[in-house]
Amino acid sequence: MSARARAATAMAFRDQRRRPLVLVLLVIVPAYVITRSIAETLPTPRDVGLPGGAIVHTTMKDVHGAEMGGVTIAFVVALVGVFVMQSALEGDRRLVLAGFRPGETVLARLAVLLAATAVVVGVSALVTALSFDAASWPAFVAAFLLIGLIYGGIGALAGAVLDKLAATYLMLFLVMTDVGIVQSPMFSTTPGRFAVLLPGYAPSRLMYEGAFSTGFHAGGELALSLAWLVAVAAAVGFVLSRAVSSRSVSAPS
Amino acid sequence: MLSAALPTSTAFVREHLRAPLTLAMLIAIPVFFVLVFASVLGEFSEALGGTLASQSATAISAGWATAFLCGALAFFQVSSSRGADRRLAAAGLGPLRVALSRIFAALAIGLTVSAVAFATLWLRSGVEHPLHAFAAIFAFAATYTGIGAVVGAFVKGQLEGSLLVVLVFSVDAFSDPQMTSNGLIAQTPTGEAANLLVAAGGGQGSPGGDWAGAGLIALAALAVALAAFWSSARMRA
Repeated sequence: MSARARAATAMAFRDQRRRPLVLVLLVIVPAYVITRSIAETLPTPRDVGLPGGAIVHTTMKDVHGAEMGGVTIAFVVALVGVFVMQSALEGDRRLVLAGFRPGETVLARLAVLLAATAVVVGVSALVTALSFDAASWPAFVAAFLLIGLIYGGIGALAGAVLDKLAATYLMLFLVMTDVGIVQSPMFSTTPGRFAVLLPGYAPSRLMYEGAFSTGFHAGGELALSLAWLVAVAAAVGFVLSRAVSSRSVSAPS
Repeated sequence: MLSAALPTSTAFVREHLRAPLTLAMLIAIPVFFVLVFASVLGEFSEALGGTLASQSATAISAGWATAFLCGALAFFQVSSSRGADRRLAAAGLGPLRVALSRIFAALAIGLTVSAVAFATLWLRSGVEHPLHAFAAIFAFAATYTGIGAVVGAFVKGQLEGSLLVVLVFSVDAFSDPQMTSNGLIAQTPTGEAANLLVAAGGGQGSPGGDWAGAGLIALAALAVALAAFWSSARMRA
């Protein structure tokens, strides 16, 4: 990492340190939503279809235990993505005009997004563990991380190309539709035919595999999740580099 | 006062709706919540220990969609427009007229979102007390306009502000008596409006106490929103 990239990253983190409420809310929002929703759900019977084709007979309480972390991580990290990139667009063009390469400023903002994702995933896994025992924690937490990174990237893309109000509404709509409904066994034992087209499909399948299966039959889903992550990361790098480059002339409001 | 505020309100509405996707989401989200969530919210409520029947669940989903949209909108109204509002006030409009213009704009958008949510509700499942249902949905809109504006007045950062609106919304929705058996939080911002909406959705009338409670909370929220808009438009010494 060049000295300029290190300086840009240090400044981006210093910018976040000046806003302690962000960190407090990144802890409180997932902790409250996950804890409260699991605690209040009754253990009514529910079937969940897993990637290997097995059907697990479980309860709504456990389904909520598995699912709420994913939904909350996706929405919170997507919002972080939207606003970290809005900040980048406001300030980083000046850095580029001052001699920084666009890639160096983008790297700094992505480091902030990664750190926020790590906080939200860590808190979510911890509070989930207080009320739900996943069958395979490594697969379950990996799915949390993949959901966070993919949706953080999608939020960053939305923040780079859309008005902040539109981007906020879009993230709510997309996360609730994808992770909250289409992929959720609360609505259907296995996801429908077109669910695979959405970004939450593969990491959600991995999440339910980790939650309810001690074996691992979700290799395809893991590969698809990684493919989504690479594609989203490449798109974020490309869009942001163009957006902050000195040749760009317009910015979203 | 009003003649000066109304043209500015129209400009503020145009300002928020200039992004076509914002307008699309203001229409799509209430339709989506009512059509999709409603079909499963009754079962979901039962799993949470609540008492919501399917017909009533359809109704309350309209209120929550309207609440979140109006809360986020009011937050961004205060948060994004602080500088412009101060300049408008200093240029002769004055902070009160700027604040009134913001309130009228928020109410116009809130009424539109409420109308979309209500129309979807009516078309999907029919409502025996349509006026009651519309008034209750609008009470959700007014209450969250106040909540969003207050958050915007106190929290400058847009990430932390939007997360705070999400947190208040989550506490409110999870504590709704129809959705939980846990009486930990006795009074929530939209508790009375939810009672009205659930009753209207289930074909029941509502007691005067619920009407008075929902009306008072909505009016208080709008008064608080006016104060928040006024405060953000006022020039600091």
